[in-house]
Amino acid sequence: MHNSFIARNPSVLWFLAALGLFTFGVTLLSEATGIGLISTSFVKTLGKTLCLCLIAIAMDVVWGYCGILSLGHFAFFGIGGYAIGMWLMYARTETIVLSSLAGQTIPATPQEISDAIGNQIFGVVGSSEFPLIWAFSDSLVLQLAMVVLIPGLLALVFGWLAFRSRVTGVYLSILTQAMTLALSLYLFQNDSGLRGNNGLSGLQNIPGFEATPQATISIIFFLASAFALGAGYVFFAWVISGKMGSVVQGIRDNEARVRFLGYQVEGYKLFIFTITAIVSGIAGALYYPQAGIINPGEIAPIASIYLAVWVAIGGRGRLYGAVIGAAFVSLLSSWFTGGGAPDINLGFYTIQWTDWWLVLLGLSFVIVTLYFPKGIGGLFDYLVRKPS
Amino acid sequence: MGGATIRAATLPKYPEFPMRLLLSALFFMLSALASSAQDLQSLLQENAAQIAKPSRTSIGIVLDQMVATGLPQVPAFLEEWSDKNVWQDEATGLFYIATEGDDVLTLTDIDTGAQTTAPVDGFQQLKPNGGVRRVIGTALVQFQLIDPDTTRRTAALESIARRPEASQLAPLIASLDGEADPVLRTRKANLITILSARFAEDPADRIAAIEKLAQETSVETRAVLNQILATKPGVATELPEANIAVQHDPMTDPDGFYAALVAADLAQPLTTPAAIRAAMEAHIVDGRVGDVPVAQLHTDAARARAYAALAAAGTVPPLLGEPERNNALRSHVFYDAYIEDDPAITAAARRALDQVENAVALAQTVDLGLDALSLASIYFLAAIGLAITFGVMGVINMAHGEFIMMGAYTGYVIQLFIPDYTIAILVALPVAFAITFAAGVTMERLVIRHLYHRPLETLLATFGISIALQQLAKNIFGTQARPLTSPAWLDGAWIISDVIQISYIRIAIFFMALFFLALILYILKRTRLGLEVRAVTQNPGMAASMGINPDRINMLTFGLGSGIAGIAGVAIGLYAKVTSEMGADYIVQSFMTVVVGGVGNVWGTLAGASLIGGLQKGIEWFNPSNTLAAQTYMILFIILFIQFRPKGIVALKGRAAAD
Repeated sequence: MHNSFIARNPSVLWFLAALGLFTFGVTLLSEATGIGLISTSFVKTLGKTLCLCLIAIAMDVVWGYCGILSLGHFAFFGIGGYAIGMWLMYARTETIVLSSLAGQTIPATPQEISDAIGNQIFGVVGSSEFPLIWAFSDSLVLQLAMVVLIPGLLALVFGWLAFRSRVTGVYLSILTQAMTLALSLYLFQNDSGLRGNNGLSGLQNIPGFEATPQATISIIFFLASAFALGAGYVFFAWVISGKMGSVVQGIRDNEARVRFLGYQVEGYKLFIFTITAIVSGIAGALYYPQAGIINPGEIAPIASIYLAVWVAIGGRGRLYGAVIGAAFVSLLSSWFTGGGAPDINLGFYTIQWTDWWLVLLGLSFVIVTLYFPKGIGGLFDYLVRKPS
Repeated sequence: MGGATIRAATLPKYPEFPMRLLLSALFFMLSALASSAQDLQSLLQENAAQIAKPSRTSIGIVLDQMVATGLPQVPAFLEEWSDKNVWQDEATGLFYIATEGDDVLTLTDIDTGAQTTAPVDGFQQLKPNGGVRRVIGTALVQFQLIDPDTTRRTAALESIARRPEASQLAPLIASLDGEADPVLRTRKANLITILSARFAEDPADRIAAIEKLAQETSVETRAVLNQILATKPGVATELPEANIAVQHDPMTDPDGFYAALVAADLAQPLTTPAAIRAAMEAHIVDGRVGDVPVAQLHTDAARARAYAALAAAGTVPPLLGEPERNNALRSHVFYDAYIEDDPAITAAARRALDQVENAVALAQTVDLGLDALSLASIYFLAAIGLAITFGVMGVINMAHGEFIMMGAYTGYVIQLFIPDYTIAILVALPVAFAITFAAGVTMERLVIRHLYHRPLETLLATFGISIALQQLAKNIFGTQARPLTSPAWLDGAWIISDVIQISYIRIAIFFMALFFLALILYILKRTRLGLEVRAVTQNPGMAASMGINPDRINMLTFGLGSGIAGIAGVAIGLYAKVTSEMGADYIVQSFMTVVVGGVGNVWGTLAGASLIGGLQKGIEWFNPSNTLAAQTYMILFIILFIQFRPKGIVALKGRAAAD
């Protein structure tokens, strides 16, 4: 079984080899574990990019393989980030509060400690009481469970409602977009219990590792992200190969026919939708400790549309295409918008890429959709085309 | 005619007022005669000390005497005095109205008006303080009320409305009969009612006035009734003999009422956790508090034990906790008492206020309905173009919002060249249509045509165009909001009452939406183009075999939808700011409108826009402070709504419904 899986998917081995090589190289060049050629902040950027690649393969599975253009997967990504961020913020604030209370003559009661932590975290939105959703924030294990459970449950309920009433195609896209819009609008409120538009911050400080330098933490998260991407890749490659993969791709190509063949189309779609949401949540939980801050703007509808853009440019319907698209576009985007790209002087007008990058991206997106529907990944077809 | 009714309605209820006024005038005239003051100066001299150094409390009597003389020069003198233009000769003690200039005073005799000049030295300027000036102002009001100049009478009425006082009631009533201006007459009658409700001496008059107030819904009326119903909170061991508004159950908010008890010096503050903690810290003896080791004081129970031990030893006051608080609360009554003593009046005012509030609630509902209607027409304008492209052609145009933005910027640019706003708007509407029509046709030819069988990819390609256009607008026009100014005749609002009002812009947008609804219905149902559009929508192959060119029809339909987006842009830009992101604000709402309404049907779009507009206003009404929450709940509602009517409110039936 394992042999046949690998044999049918040679790209998995190629991908794992490339990822391993890349990870090894970055580790050797990093500041903490190597010769210091790659700065800590760039290691973080690379680690975040790996997380984006992970959600991109999830998006590719749900869109490229199952035909559901979800414009809401970044909502699950954000929920994962919020879930882990709650523990990071609580635990770190607890450490700070305990050390500041330790100097007092009378030992503090649990109520006093809780009040002080609440004041620290929610003072910024004019509150000091812990909302109900923070009930488990003192437990890493429970919050890790939330990373998986909340995106999973939300996707399950939303997907069940949508698929049950046969909402398909563009309707479903707009509905998922409405979902992420509703979530981000809700989180923007100060009384949402998640600090409104301040979001959660200071997530790069890992409780219990205060003495560890950021350089080491960054490389650990980089390795964890690489591992998650590798594991996610193998998992999804396994899901979409075999019989279930065929049914799922059949649904993409002609949903009615698959239904007439006697398959429970809704069940398959719901499974794919939920499982990709869970992986998105995990990707978010790895991303935001590296980013250091999460706020509701991160899950605005535009983020999910960009996700679709990455997958389309990279090439739908092939997992490595999604990885290439996410890595290529997001790194290129930060290069252009970060002022890394040189300005072009046309004599009468100077093109500053910070201003013109989005125009270029938008137009290239139109061109890719029109003329290269297979995306960058399609180039590999020319490389491995068997001589006929 | 209006004046006659008002007199008939008001005057019989105050028969004693003119009489009283007459009597008091007579009295003052007598006293004035008694003091044999034939001119103002001699009256002033009699009270020279009071005039030169007036005090707010005692100046009233002197003012009354002055008014009672009935001398014509009194109001002028009072005004000059209030404006600090009265000077006193230090040698003779005589008062003059004077203007100061280069060490010389131009003096005007108070009675004769004769002008002389004198050096400033030897004269003292009178500077009445603010309180005195207010009293003078009140005395002046009765002159201003009968001033021949209408603007001054209006100003006097405004000043009364701002700061109503009991003393103004009599002059107001006296001036009503002589009032010739019908508007001012109505206003005076209105103010008489308001003042009588608060200050009339006979309770029956007050109640009658209060009942009259119940007929009105103005903010002023509600303020007056609320003032009569003003309460102040009180606490006592037994319910006092007073006009009690309400008695509270202290257990509904124990800490709040206990705080009132403490503030009234009827109880000691509770021992707070912070106080317990402070007591612990202050009484550590050999590492112990009471006999509890310090290290164990990390629970509330241990702290309570230690505190009890300290209290038993007498080192700290005894613990005041929840049981003590509840005992104290139970042995007192908490109430709100009306400041007005007469229960009959407060009861009448309460009845009147309830009646007014019912009327206001009704008016607010109407106002809400108008708001919802105007929001719905904006959504309709934004969505109707989308309904044509998405509904009729099945093409998702994510750049639709950017067409709205293009229309708005077109209006802005045209206003830069045409200074007359009315002409600019009239020019902008067709130009915006032409520009976005052209943009839509270009986009259809270059991009959408190739993607007719891949709707999801249309979504992504048009999204690419959308971000490119948005950034392009940002590069050209900058990030700051640009104004699209409406013509002056569209400024302001149609005010039906204090509660119901709607701005002219919104009325204009409403009629614009109606116009485009009619226009599109006409084009689709009554023209050759509409016939061909419907034919291509239902069956492109059959339509083509009948000699219709589907390519051309698709192009025109897309152009039409985009052109209407441009016009919507001008309309939206008139009341919202024009920014490069304005399209993105409307795109999700527009899609919701089309999807909720039902695809492929103009009436469906209308229904969707009405539902979403009405719903959003309705939710905002329940929670007015939180528009974010309103939007969240609305989107959740739409997600649920789609569950029950996946094809929208107006769903196509039969073959046309097939994908």
